[in-house]
This record gives sequence, structure tokens and C-alpha cells, in this order.
Amino acid sequence: MSLAWRLLKTAVISLWAFRSYAALMMIGLIIGIASLTVIHQIGQGAQQVVSSRMASMGFGADAFYISSGGGRLGVRRGMKRAITLTPQDAASISQVDGVAHVVPHKNVARTQVTAGGNNTNTRVRGATPGWAAARNWPLLQGRFVSLTDIRQSARVAVLGTTVVRELFGDVDPVGRRLRIGRTPFIVVGVLKSKGSSGWRDRDDIILVPLSTATKRLSRDDKLSGMRVTMTDASRVEEVKTEVTNVLRENHSLLPGVPDDFLIITPDELMKLITRQSRSLVAMLTFVSAVSLFVSGVVIMNIMLVAVSERAYEIGVRRAVGARRRDILYQILMESLIVAAAGGVCGLLVGLLLSYLATWLLAIPTAFSPTGFLWALGFSAGVGLLFGVAPAKKAAGLHPVEALR
Amino acid sequence: MIKLKGITKTYYRGKVETPVLLGIDLHVREGEFLAIMGPSGSGKSTLLHILGLLDRPTGGSYRLDGIEVSSLSDDELARLRNDKLGFVFQAFHLLPKSTALDNVLLPFTYAGHFPEDANARARRALGRVGLEHRLHHRPGEMSGGECQRVAIARALVNDPEVIFADEPTGNLDQRSSLEIISILQGLHAEGRTIVLVTHDTAVGCMCRRLLRVVYGKVVSDEPVAEPTVALQQLQTLKEAAK
Ligand SMILES: Nc1ncnc2c1ncn2[C@@H]1O[C@H](COP(=O)(O)OP(=O)(O)O)[C@@H](O)[C@H]1O
Ligand SMILES: [Mg+2]
Repeated sequence: MSLAWRLLKTAVISLWAFRSYAALMMIGLIIGIASLTVIHQIGQGAQQVVSSRMASMGFGADAFYISSGGGRLGVRRGMKRAITLTPQDAASISQVDGVAHVVPHKNVARTQVTAGGNNTNTRVRGATPGWAAARNWPLLQGRFVSLTDIRQSARVAVLGTTVVRELFGDVDPVGRRLRIGRTPFIVVGVLKSKGSSGWRDRDDIILVPLSTATKRLSRDDKLSGMRVTMTDASRVEEVKTEVTNVLRENHSLLPGVPDDFLIITPDELMKLITRQSRSLVAMLTFVSAVSLFVSGVVIMNIMLVAVSERAYEIGVRRAVGARRRDILYQILMESLIVAAAGGVCGLLVGLLLSYLATWLLAIPTAFSPTGFLWALGFSAGVGLLFGVAPAKKAAGLHPVEALR
Repeated sequence: MIKLKGITKTYYRGKVETPVLLGIDLHVREGEFLAIMGPSGSGKSTLLHILGLLDRPTGGSYRLDGIEVSSLSDDELARLRNDKLGFVFQAFHLLPKSTALDNVLLPFTYAGHFPEDANARARRALGRVGLEHRLHHRPGEMSGGECQRVAIARALVNDPEVIFADEPTGNLDQRSSLEIISILQGLHAEGRTIVLVTHDTAVGCMCRRLLRVVYGKVVSDEPVAEPTVALQQLQTLKEAAK
């Protein structure tokens, strides 16, 4: 303990004596680690945004989403899709072992909606009572679609706040009438605002009972998609495979024919979203890797110079009994401490920068303790690696030559 | 304790050979106070470095306490330096950024384990050379004589078997020199073995045995009949100054 303490004290005293060198050595590391930290914080922030958005879409770890029409995740958006899922599919899937709930819905084409003298154009979606709960979407007032509504194909509507604003302004809409196309409806509830999800206003929506949507607002009973909840999150992959088989059979797809539906798991969605930022992060990572390498080379060269300036000190230590390896460890310890200190400084600078990025540029960032450990480990690694050559040089000095 | 037989040392720089020691035979017994004298460049320092295990001879045999030194590894030599030998150099060779106390503690850092009473021993060693009031001074804040006393305390702290001193008074004025020699004489009186290099005859005459080296060869080796007592000289000097 006392010896370790003395070695540490020795290293700190030497570093303090050579503080201008130490500062130079740290600059490169500070830049490298700071940029790594910012990258990491932005990455963490993006992930947090993604997962909170997925939660609001009803994506827990224990659920997946089946969408009508085939294709691949990420390249389908905007493509005209075949509507292939049926109520029969929903019924079959709810029989699959491991499935807890199936919550289907049907999108009706954007429709003209009128109330009093006002009109607007909005998305209309047929839903079941489980729909709002599955998306953690609470009501602001009134009630949601009920089982009775489904059974009776009732002409009731639940509005998003954007629709309420367009049609009713400040007036309480519950109990009032509106027309979807030509069909009259009664407003029974209002959804709490969810805000925009980047590319669309999620409050610009009207929900009606699923049966009302299929029977009164469109000409077929096909489904746009359904959310499937598992009894157990660990069974997602297993259930996904089984559901795929069931759907292919229901749709009479021959082997080799691509799926005419798409199952989206939270995992895949997360991967898709992170893939979009991956090239940027890769580039920044490359930049910081280069700067870390450069700072390692800088550390090495400055240490080499410092070692020749300190030959005398090394000679003294050897004379009083230091072995070669004692000197080796001392120099390694010093470069390790400098590097770790540079890493911590870089980390603090990085935290400050990401705070500024959030504050000034509204870029979401998040702190992660693993990032902290990474930064420390990385810089310590650089220090050790590039401390080896100077340490070997110091340890190789002949005591008498060194003292001259 | 120290037995040299036919010790040679040749420096090689490229193809240039510089023979420095041409076969030294020497026997130093426990409790001796030996001065090695000779003109500059005669190989005194080279010999002392070999004696002090800081350098290896080119040829010959060196037995320290019966152990043939050439058979030992660098690490073992370092351990012996730490354990059994103490060094005092002409240029003091203290660590400039460390306090007197830390300089004296330095040998313990490399002693394998740091003794519990290291601090007390370092203070005692500094007390022995009359520097108990300079514990926390750095070399830059002390006179040359004080620095050399710190160096002696450092050489002393591990209770070595032999103390080697290479021109310990070379950088000091007469009075500081006398102080240093009187400390060494005191250590000798306590029974310590001391080997000292000097080209100053006055200093040589304060030791008990005088070895003259010229161009890498021992030319004479005799006891000093009546060694001068440094403390007396110091007193005379002080009185003369009054
Ligand atoms: N590393 C070395 N390489 C070549 N010659 C050396 C080396 N060290 C010492 N010498 C030479 O060896 C001779 C003796 O040196 P040294 O032992 O320091 O003498 P002294 O201490 O008696 O003045 C000198 O001529 C010196 O130039
Ligand atoms: Mg010399």
C-alpha cells in the first residue's frame, strides 16, 4: 500500500515537473476522447428517442406488428401496397401458441370530414377496443370504441386533437355530429395529443369501430395491419416464425413466392433506425480513431524526449537500486496517468459539448456510464501502448551513462 | 569483503578501443577507510563504478562477500546496490523536485517492500548528518554542502555494508569539504567500510589507507600513518575566521 502510494506519488511529482509536456500529450487525447464521447452521447440519445417512439407506437419488447403487403422494411414507405390481411388471418393468429392478443386495424383512404360549417381531410382508421391501450394512447375526454360499438357497427368516432381543432375549434366536441364522407357519426371521445412523429402529425386522425370501417366506409373487410402481443417477450422469434407459416398457408403462397405481408419486430425497427445514422457515426468514429492514434504518437515522441531529458533522474534511481523493470513500470505508469487524465478531461469536454448540442442545436443526447468506462479504457490503452517505446528506452539506459 | 583480481575495463566506441583499467588487484576488508587517488583520467571513477556494481568489468574477477559478481544478473546487481551499497557522487545526484526527506526515502522505494519505519529511519539518517532542520527543503533551496549531506544520508539510510564516494568534496569549498569528511570519519569510527575517490591529497590523508592509481594500474597501496582529523581542521578553520 505504502509502496504503491509512493510509486503513484513519484509519477505525479515527475508529471508535475514536466507539466507542459504532459499538457501537450493530453491535447490530442482530449480531442479524440471528446469527439468519441459526443458520438456516443448522440448515439445514445437517438436510441432513447427511438425506443420512446416505439413505445408510443405500441412496440414493447413483447409485441410485433404485421403489415399488409410484402416487401422489405425501410424501402416500402410510399409504395402502393396490396391489402392482403383478413379478419380470418387475425382469428388464426390469435390461435397460435404464445400469442396473447391480436389488435387489428383498417386504414380507410384519406377522407373529407365535415362538421357544422367546417371541413378537413384526415386519416380514418377502424380499430378495436384494445387499440388505444396497445399504443399507450390515453383519452383526453369521452370514451374509446367499445365492444358494443363493434357488434353494432356503430357510427361513433374518436378524434385526434388536430381534427378537433379543425372542426370544432374550442367547442367541446363530445356528443356532436360530424360526417365522414357522407356517413353521419357522433363524436364519443378525444385522444390526448401525441405530437408529430417527425414526418406526420399523429393527432390528425379519426378512429371508428373496425366493423364500421369495413362495412360502412369501405367495400371490403381486409385489414391494413395488426399488432400481435406475446405472452412472453422471449418467444417473439418463435411466434414470428409460426405466424409466418400460418399466414402463408392462409394466403395459399407456394414455396418461393415472397410473403405478401411484413412482420416488423422492435428489434428490426431499431436496427433500421440505427442503420440510418450508422455511416455518420462510422465516419466520426474513424476521425476520432485517427486523432487517438495521432495523439498516441505524440505521447510517444514527447515521452521519448522527456526520457532523454530525465536520463539523470533515471541514473540516480538505478544507482540506488532500481531495476530496469522498475524504471519501465514508472514510465508506463506515467504515460498511463497522463493518458487517463487526458481521457477524463476529454470526457468532460465531450459531456459539455453534447450538453451544448442538446441545448443549442436540439440534438438529443444521453449519458451512459458504459461510455465513461470506454473513454477511460480507450485512453488508458493508448497511454500504455504508446508508453512502451519510451519506457523501454528509459529502462535500457546504462546507469553510469545516464548519470553523466 | 571486496576482492578484485586482474580487473580490466576497456571502452569500445565503434572501432576505437580505450583501455582504462589494466588489471587491478585489490582487497578491501570490513571496516576499512580507503582512498583511491590518482591524476584525472586515470580510471578512478571507472574503478569505483565497477566496485559499486554500476558497471561491469571487461575482465578479471570481483568477489563481493564471496559472491562472484560477474555471475549475477542486472536485477541481482540492482538488489545488491540497494541492499549492501551506498553511493555519494561529486555532483550530489539528488532528485531536484523531491524534498530532502523524499530523496533519502528513495532507496526504500526499490527495496522490494517499503519498511514500516522508513520515515523514522530517513529522519534518523538526516539527523546523523546534521540536517534534521532541512527535511522538507528541495536541493535548490540548500547549499552544496547540505546537498552532499543529504546524499550521504541517502547512502546511509539502508544501513549499507560499504559506502562509495566519488570525489565527494570536488564541488565544495574547504569548510563544507571538511564537514563532509568529518561525517565520513565519524561513520568509519562507527565501523563502516568506506571507499572514497579523490585527487585531493589533503582529503586522501584523512583516510586510513591510500591506493594510488595511474593509468589504470595500482602504483602504491599503503596505510596512512597519521590520518588528519577533519573535525580538528574544521575547528582551526573556524578560529582563524574569528
Ligand atoms: N563511456 C566511456 N567511453 C569511452 N571512454 C571513457 C568512457 N568513460 C570514461 N572513459 C575514459 O576513461 C578514462 C578514465 O575515466 P575516469 O574513470 O572517469 O577517470 P577519473 O575518474 O580517474 O578522472 C578517461 O580517459 C575517460 O575519457
Ligand atoms: Mg572521476
